[in-house]
Amino acid sequence: MNAVIAGLGITEMGKVYGRTAPEFAADAVRLAVDDAGLALADVDGLLTNTGITGDVGLGLQRDLGLRDLRLLSEVQAYGSSAGAMVQYAAMAVMSGMASVVACVFADAPLKEPGAGAGAAYAGLTTTGWRGLAAASGIYSANTMYALAARRHMRTYGTTSEQLGHIAVAQRAWAALNPLAQMRDPITLADHQSSRWIAEPFHLLDCCLVSNGGVAVIVTTADRAADLNQPPVRILGWAQTHPGNDEQLGLVSGAAISGPAALKMAGATIADIDVAELYDCYTFTALLSLEDYGFCAKGEGGPFAASGALGPGGSLAVNTGGGQLSSYYMWGMTPLSEAVVQARGQGGDRQAPRNDLVLVSGNGGLLDHHSTLILSAR
Amino acid sequence: MPVGIVRRDAATTEFFDGTARGELLIRSCACGAFAAPQARTCPACGCELTAWAAAAGTGTVETWSIVHNRKLPPVTVAIVRLDEGPWMQTQLVGDLPDDLRDLRVRVAFEQPQGGEAVPVFGAAG
Ligand SMILES: [Zn+2]
Repeated sequence: MNAVIAGLGITEMGKVYGRTAPEFAADAVRLAVDDAGLALADVDGLLTNTGITGDVGLGLQRDLGLRDLRLLSEVQAYGSSAGAMVQYAAMAVMSGMASVVACVFADAPLKEPGAGAGAAYAGLTTTGWRGLAAASGIYSANTMYALAARRHMRTYGTTSEQLGHIAVAQRAWAALNPLAQMRDPITLADHQSSRWIAEPFHLLDCCLVSNGGVAVIVTTADRAADLNQPPVRILGWAQTHPGNDEQLGLVSGAAISGPAALKMAGATIADIDVAELYDCYTFTALLSLEDYGFCAKGEGGPFAASGALGPGGSLAVNTGGGQLSSYYMWGMTPLSEAVVQARGQGGDRQAPRNDLVLVSGNGGLLDHHSTLILSAR
Repeated sequence: MPVGIVRRDAATTEFFDGTARGELLIRSCACGAFAAPQARTCPACGCELTAWAAAAGTGTVETWSIVHNRKLPPVTVAIVRLDEGPWMQTQLVGDLPDDLRDLRVRVAFEQPQGGEAVPVFGAAG
């Protein structure tokens, strides 16, 4: 018996002010339930993942008026959480522990117009070991990922221009996505001339910051058979949490979670039609391409520069524009676009083949990884 | 850019006692391996780490970033691989070459008023 994704809810997204993260979360669940053709009262499981503002949690049950839930928990594995929630939900419905599980992420880090984008992501810890790194100037994800990316560059010769090709390709996809926040096309020259954030990252190597929420509904294939949407089967899944500082910037958890999830699905990487890769930075997408085996280790730069990744390229990657150009909802960004693509509802950005869709989630400093293999066929 | 203020907690007491003396303390294991100061478990043998040792204070830049901020001058940060093996996340100070790849560096300490002494690294002479 397969578990499936039967509903998808995406709230208004981006610079949307005056609403809290729990409000976005509740809206996203309602939208996902409606999308599936279910009622809120059908939901008997709820998994929540809070973003940086940290206030989406168990209280969401009462916000939604849900009674007698058979599964309720907060999940936290940062950017890999969305994939992880779907995995736990799948196991819950397959075991019969619950029948309809809503998985939701929401965040509202942008507080008011004029506030620095990402300001909520730069909190300083001034005590102990983390305080020591912060006092040394290392306190933001930008800097940590920049250190990782530089290590890849010095090891494999990867260049800023090659990273730029990922930003350009994803913006070209975003131009076709009405949900995307950033739809104006960019060139490689735009990427190279955008201001430095933390070298080797320019501004256009870095994800957006968004307010909003995304939810999916996981249920059994039997239950989904007469619902509104084409059921998206969850064919394979895996997590990897490397815990290995020595591989910083050279190998991510995708190297293990990818093959494990593909094996469960009875597929190989060559079977993947669409890849929705976690892209907090251009570099994260590049490293994931290598670790999943879409190209050889160290060849991510030339692969990106070959033009393979944009609309009309040889591999449909981050077809909604990803977190670089569409919206920053942690692992829900690749997952939501994967559901759209698997259903064939991508409109102008629909990939030509969509039999098998891979979703990656990445959290921490490449510390946590999840993979899902999805199909509506 | 000067280093920021960091205060000690129970886990960092010995380490900051060391930096106050001008010593860079790292963890040492009975098996002969060294580990980063914040490590709790020996990466070589799996033993719990309890002993400290003073590092020589020299190492090699493993990776680096120049961090830009619209309000402050850029700061160069790095991961330094100490000659004993452990990695340190740190700030690079003083005159630095354009290409920092594999740069040999040596520790120094900066102590802002109200904070602990923080290890930083400059190009080894
Ligand atoms: Zn040992």
